[in-house]
Amino acid sequence: MGRTTGRPNDRDVVLGAADSDRRRDPRGNRDLSGDRDRHGDRDPRGDRDPSGERDPWVDHDPDMAVASGDVIAPIRALRVVRGGLASEARFLGALWKANLLAAMEFRTSFILQVAGMALNNAVFMLFWVIFFERFENIGGWAMDDLILLFGVVAMAFGIGVTLFGNILVLSDVITGGGLDHHLSLPRPVLLSALASKSRISGIGDILTGFVCYGLAGEASLAAIARYAVACTASAAIFLAFLVAVQSLAFWMGGATLLNRTAINAILTFATYPLTLFDGTAKLILLTILPAGVMGTISAEFVRAFSWTVLGQLMASAVAVLAIALWIFHRGLRRYESGSAIVSQSA
Amino acid sequence: MIAVASGWRKYGAIMRAQLANSLVYPLDLIGRALSILIFLWVFVHLWRTAFASAGADVIAGLTYADTLWYLVITETIMLSKPRMSEEIAERVRDGSVAYLLNKPYSFVLYHFAIGLGDSLVRGLVTALVGGGLVFAIVGPPPSLLGVALVPLAIVAAWLLDYCMSGLIGLAAFVTEDVTAFEWIYSKMILILGGTLIPLEFFPDWLRGAATAMPFAWTMWAPARLFLDPSPERIVSVFTGQLAWLAVMGAVLALAYRVGARRLAINGG
Repeated sequence: MGRTTGRPNDRDVVLGAADSDRRRDPRGNRDLSGDRDRHGDRDPRGDRDPSGERDPWVDHDPDMAVASGDVIAPIRALRVVRGGLASEARFLGALWKANLLAAMEFRTSFILQVAGMALNNAVFMLFWVIFFERFENIGGWAMDDLILLFGVVAMAFGIGVTLFGNILVLSDVITGGGLDHHLSLPRPVLLSALASKSRISGIGDILTGFVCYGLAGEASLAAIARYAVACTASAAIFLAFLVAVQSLAFWMGGATLLNRTAINAILTFATYPLTLFDGTAKLILLTILPAGVMGTISAEFVRAFSWTVLGQLMASAVAVLAIALWIFHRGLRRYESGSAIVSQSA
Repeated sequence: MIAVASGWRKYGAIMRAQLANSLVYPLDLIGRALSILIFLWVFVHLWRTAFASAGADVIAGLTYADTLWYLVITETIMLSKPRMSEEIAERVRDGSVAYLLNKPYSFVLYHFAIGLGDSLVRGLVTALVGGGLVFAIVGPPPSLLGVALVPLAIVAAWLLDYCMSGLIGLAAFVTEDVTAFEWIYSKMILILGGTLIPLEFFPDWLRGAATAMPFAWTMWAPARLFLDPSPERIVSVFTGQLAWLAVMGAVLALAYRVGARRLAINGG
């Protein structure tokens, strides 16, 4: 089920590639619109269109101009991936817009949720204010560092649950047959399942992230860019970790308890500095339960640029994402349910 | 007198039924046990580092061991209390409150009995698991009298929490969505109640303000009684809890009466 070949969404991936070609045609003098693909007129080898003009992706490189179809295949694959990404980005954009508009339909509830969550986080920050009234630092971390750490985690969590609201209940979606609906769509199942809901309270967390950065962050463009990178990586790790854990529902059936524990664990450990923990705990928090990367490593990168820390952050994000996707797609092969397409609401 | 006793007996029966119901879901109990392990594991490291950084064995009258045992009690109360506001609000929102209003019991006391049935089993399991971890790290609790008295204070703490949580749930008569109030209440309990940090570590002005509010009597007071069951402490904890129970209970009864008058059910 995880393969793209033969799946309905392949059509959109190809259409996306054609759209992408149209934008990137360096000469701008020929029609590379998706219509041709829709009518199935594409050259079976893919290196030449029926009009006889050469593909600009091949033209610009003399070696490629004489290359065989075998060599061109990766280029086509790259184009398909690029076009596919653009197509999925448009799909996600449309979903997020619809979710936001739906939430804003109930203005009072929207404002209450956003403001309530921001206030909720502010009250939690009081813990550290009180703590640092009594203690000067904790494992080398001062008040500002903790605020920044909290800001990174709040922002990452906020991004995660606002854009991919089903991340907190994916295991229930799986066991409740909620994937039926998403399997019937010409879109990647996981992306569709996660983004089909937004948790609007997450906007309150995102606001908290901005406020924390305003209070404890450095006022420079470089630092702001580091904050953006760190929060994005942190959100990716949070999402990927929960996808990996909740995908176990494909094998276990009910995984609500495991899910709740995983959410508790990653958020609790992420909001405390890694320096509190000893060797074994630290190793766990950097690998099996990547809360240390989601929190401390991300916050350290915001505090000061370092290629090593950036490498750690990126490597962790990519690794956890790859593992999560692998587990989810392995599990998806085992997925079965009575049809819940009509009744689904997840 | 007989009528009064019979009145309370039915709530006892509801509580026992819910208690039996809680035992049917062992996974939920395991989840809570795992949660207390996670939180306590963080606190073990946090407070060990804090005491080491301060270079002192006793801070504000508490040792490292006292602090951890304090946190066992507060986390036990926190993790074993039901989300009563959510349950009441849901019944108000979906109109099922109408089915409970015409039953021969009080809507509010019915929820209290259900809550107590849930909390007793959860509390016992959570305390045993959390206490086991802390016992393994810092040794036995400081006072056996504290161990004997704390269950009473915990039950009073739960009842006080039900009153405040019930008030939030009843706000659904007016606002429908009470989630934001729940979040803020839970954070008040976490911080001003002293769940995460003993009030002894607060600055003087804030400690004074916190003890003047009901939140501290659901968390800090039972945990302090556990550590230091001196006669003065016993009197102050139980007097404080009963006083706040009387006040919050009266406010809840009033809110319920006003809310029930506003209730409008369509269809059903």
